Amino acid sequence: MSAKIGSPAMDSSLSIGLVKSLTKYFNIFKVSLVERLAYRADFLLGTFLRLLPLVTTLLLWKAVYANKDEISGYTYRQVVAYLLLVHVSRMFSSMPGLASGIARDVRDGNLKRYLVQPLDLISYLLAYRMAHKVAYIITSIPLYSVIFFLFRDFFDAPADPWWFCLYATALLMSFILGFAFEASLGMLGFWFLEISSFLYLVNTVNFFVSGHFLPLDLLDPWVAGILKVLPMQFMAYFPAALIMGKAGDWNDVVRGLGIEAAWCLGFFAMARGAYALGLRRYGGYGG
Amino acid sequence: MVLKRSFASYLRLVAVFARFSLTREMAFRGNFVMKVLLELVWLGILLVFYRTLFRGVDSIAGWDSASFLFFLGCYYTLEGVVETLFLENFVEFSDLVRTGNLDLHLLKPIDEQFLLSIRLIDWSTVPKLFIGSGMMGVAVFQMGHPVSGWTLALFLGLFVAGVSMAYSFLLILSSTAIWMVRNQSLMELWWLFSTLMRYPRDIYDVAWAWPVRLVFTFVLPALLVVSVPAEVVGKAVLDPWWICWMLVSAIISLSGSRRIFMGSIASYRSASS
Repeated sequence: MSAKIGSPAMDSSLSIGLVKSLTKYFNIFKVSLVERLAYRADFLLGTFLRLLPLVTTLLLWKAVYANKDEISGYTYRQVVAYLLLVHVSRMFSSMPGLASGIARDVRDGNLKRYLVQPLDLISYLLAYRMAHKVAYIITSIPLYSVIFFLFRDFFDAPADPWWFCLYATALLMSFILGFAFEASLGMLGFWFLEISSFLYLVNTVNFFVSGHFLPLDLLDPWVAGILKVLPMQFMAYFPAALIMGKAGDWNDVVRGLGIEAAWCLGFFAMARGAYALGLRRYGGYGG
Repeated sequence: MVLKRSFASYLRLVAVFARFSLTREMAFRGNFVMKVLLELVWLGILLVFYRTLFRGVDSIAGWDSASFLFFLGCYYTLEGVVETLFLENFVEFSDLVRTGNLDLHLLKPIDEQFLLSIRLIDWSTVPKLFIGSGMMGVAVFQMGHPVSGWTLALFLGLFVAGVSMAYSFLLILSSTAIWMVRNQSLMELWWLFSTLMRYPRDIYDVAWAWPVRLVFTFVLPALLVVSVPAEVVGKAVLDPWWICWMLVSAIISLSGSRRIFMGSIASYRSASS
């Protein structure tokens, strides 16, 4: 029996297919979440260790601002607020092991499990990473709540609560951008046997150019100008600067979000295109 | 069984390890070039950060631009020494324990600590030694006052003490791999330790940071490792109390870490049997 496009039978089979597909990826999300929460003590320890460099950085900036109230438009309070907010940005956008995992699956031949099962690699990884992020954010909330409470005087709430909506949008898109960027890098595994050193190099550069290290505005104006054109700034600098009111007025921020959305689409298209091209080269042998 | 060997034969062994490691590195030249490039990128980030800090201010916690550059050069060189000689060995140590391959090394007629500490030499971090020394040279030139032979000798002595303390910390951390079997966070703990060394200890002169300063000066003296040697030249500070404490800390760290390492080896149960 066949169903014509647009007929009720076709519509219902399409919607059943869609529900099945969504259920499948929701189940992947659920299993990954349970797996992740099993290691919550490890999580907390890791998060705690990562906070110690933050303490030394704060002390350094306190010493820098000892005899100065403002540098390049930032006060000490604002630099501290920025460095804390940038942790929130990275909480959404960092994707440890995503690119290297894809490259390893290509090299080891494990990629064929995605080819023989009704499972799309990129959708699977997206669901998996969403679960990891949710678990990571849930386990980090208590610690970050304490830190943000301790530093509550360092933050100025935006006058209009709608800015929080823009901030949430920027953070969600930074997750998508971080995912699509790393996935695109991972696809290089189809063309090169070993890319781990290259990925390490990219991550190191990204750490700096995304604004994780320090507010981009403090750099020489021409360096800051270049870095603010690159997509990496949306993974750390932009969300933090947005909520601090350092990314311009409402129109500037909406335009910035539009550019971020374009980069998300661009990198997603790149990941999909590279995956399709890579599969043409790929040969999976053995059982 | 450990045979007593002369100092010269240990030196010869270091040369053999170095040659072997270089041959191994040259088998994967592309990877080697990438690793060197990565170190240069880190240096670039460090220098941009330094330049940004001094764009708005003349001094930070009593360190002016030239003396801070000396501090950074000292830190970069010390990190280079530790990474070239020891880090890779300690990272591999937990693997040796887990796979049972440690047996092979314990059977060799040589001191276990020596063999396991310096077996692999990372040539990709050797440029850091030259670049770091170059940064210190430029800083001394910028400071404009000559450094006497005595000051230089004292600096070198304290620098070696700093390397010994960093080495001891890594040795203690690796020794725990025998009891915990899996010790994947060694690199992360080393990163934490080197974070404490990265900035002058004067920045901890803040009321709420005193507990941190006390712990990391007297219990786990990470704050002294780079600061005390760099102060001797960079700030021309000769405080006998701190110099003595640094040297005493180095001796305690070295002997204490050896005891812990030997204790852990004694409780090693081969994974292969």
